[in-house]
Amino acid sequence: MNQILTSIRRTPYQSLSTFLVLFFTLFLSLMLFVSLTFLYSALGYLETKPQVTVYFQKKVPEDQIFKVRDELMSSGKVLNIKYTNQNEAFNIYKQLNKDNPLLLEMVSADILPPSLEIYAKKPIYLPEIAEYLKKQGDIDEVQYEKDIINKLLVLTNTIRVSVLIFFSYLILMSIVVLTTIILFKIALKENEITLLKLIGATNFYIRKPYILESLFLGIAASTLSFGIFSLLVLYFNPFLQSYLKQVTTLSVDVYNYQLVIWPLNYVFFTIVFVSISIFGAIISSVASYIATNKYLRV
Amino acid sequence: MITFDKVTKKFPLGNAALSEVSFEIDDNEFVFLVGPSGAGKTSILKMITQELKPTSGSIVIDDFDITDKNFSQKINLRRKIGIIFQDFKVLIDKNVFENIAVSLKVIGADYSLIKSEVKRVLEIVGLAKKEMVFPLQLSAGELQRVAIARAVIGDRNIILADEPTGNLDPKTSWDIMKIFKKLEGKRTIIIATHNTDIVNSFQKRVLVLKEGKIIKDQRKGGYEL
Repeated sequence: MNQILTSIRRTPYQSLSTFLVLFFTLFLSLMLFVSLTFLYSALGYLETKPQVTVYFQKKVPEDQIFKVRDELMSSGKVLNIKYTNQNEAFNIYKQLNKDNPLLLEMVSADILPPSLEIYAKKPIYLPEIAEYLKKQGDIDEVQYEKDIINKLLVLTNTIRVSVLIFFSYLILMSIVVLTTIILFKIALKENEITLLKLIGATNFYIRKPYILESLFLGIAASTLSFGIFSLLVLYFNPFLQSYLKQVTTLSVDVYNYQLVIWPLNYVFFTIVFVSISIFGAIISSVASYIATNKYLRV
Repeated sequence: MITFDKVTKKFPLGNAALSEVSFEIDDNEFVFLVGPSGAGKTSILKMITQELKPTSGSIVIDDFDITDKNFSQKINLRRKIGIIFQDFKVLIDKNVFENIAVSLKVIGADYSLIKSEVKRVLEIVGLAKKEMVFPLQLSAGELQRVAIARAVIGDRNIILADEPTGNLDPKTSWDIMKIFKKLEGKRTIIIATHNTDIVNSFQKRVLVLKEGKIIKDQRKGGYEL
């Protein structure tokens, strides 16, 4: 640790440049990562909502509704189907309008249609399912959140590609800039490195102090990025809470583990911090590895 | 033992640094390499340290053919060699102790061994009381003593010195050569030099180089071109 601090003290401007480039990269990466995670989880959240609701005409017997349900289930594109008969629909109606006796008096179970709420395995199956239902007889109405799902799919795909391109550019730019800065620093020690090589030092022995210093700066920059990110999240938390008040939970599937990201929680924050620290450590180490390579060919 | 057998070194533009150079140096032998600038003295030293690879011929050090394509003991070989440069190459941000200790640190020696060994070699080079001093506070002669101490510490049994007195005044040069005298018979010492007086007074083996060839090999020779 003393060696690292001494090295930073002896080349303050190069160290500061390295730190600022790392901070810039890591902070942007962190914002992108969290935004993308929220978008994915929002899509996942919408997928859990009834995606297609089909209302049958009131005269349709249950057998026929069940036949449609079974055919859909056997298609392999449907995750779950919930059947709501007229009585259940009326109970839901009563619950929703319990504070309005006038509305309750006007409606009885007979006038509410039976329905199926269909949850697709993937949003791309929705148009197909909707079309299939429209072709069935005795259908009153088919509803599905086509626009929202389509927009979200387009948005997510666009963002995914844009982020991938931007992210790759960001990593490449950071590594090139960091390598150049570290090269300046190492150039001052060219004689020392040559001497160490000639007296039998291994490449690892020579690289170690530069990689350790870069690791230190990488982790320091990721800690600062995370600190500022956390402050921003705390500042915008009231706004997020009012904006997402309808949403009880947002989560993403990580290797079959449901990582809850909303409401904000310590597990999510810890994972974000660990990920950004590892990322910072990797790009700074790679840059110093490339930079030292140039001087190890003695 | 160091054996050069018909070693030739040509650079990409075709100029030859060495042409079919052959010689043998026994263990613990003291040898001067002399000759005008560009004769190939430094090239020979750089081939021993494997900074340069010969274009043809073979170099065998302690039974290892270092020119063999399969030779993989470069680091271990370098750990047996101590090098002294004309411009000292001491590390200016490290004190005398650290400069000498680096030779043992690179091989992973214990701190207790490093401490005792540094103390021992500082006595040999006459810098016993200056172990905490930084290079900027030392004279040229003292800097070269530090470089010698760094070269001879530990098990480095081949000492290569490239113009070790080139940057020193005559009196200091003699002081430095006295240190080499102390090491005589204990290590293989190869000194590339222009210093006529020193070569003549030592009366040791002299390999005379001219235009990349050995033109004389005298067992107890002087500086003659």
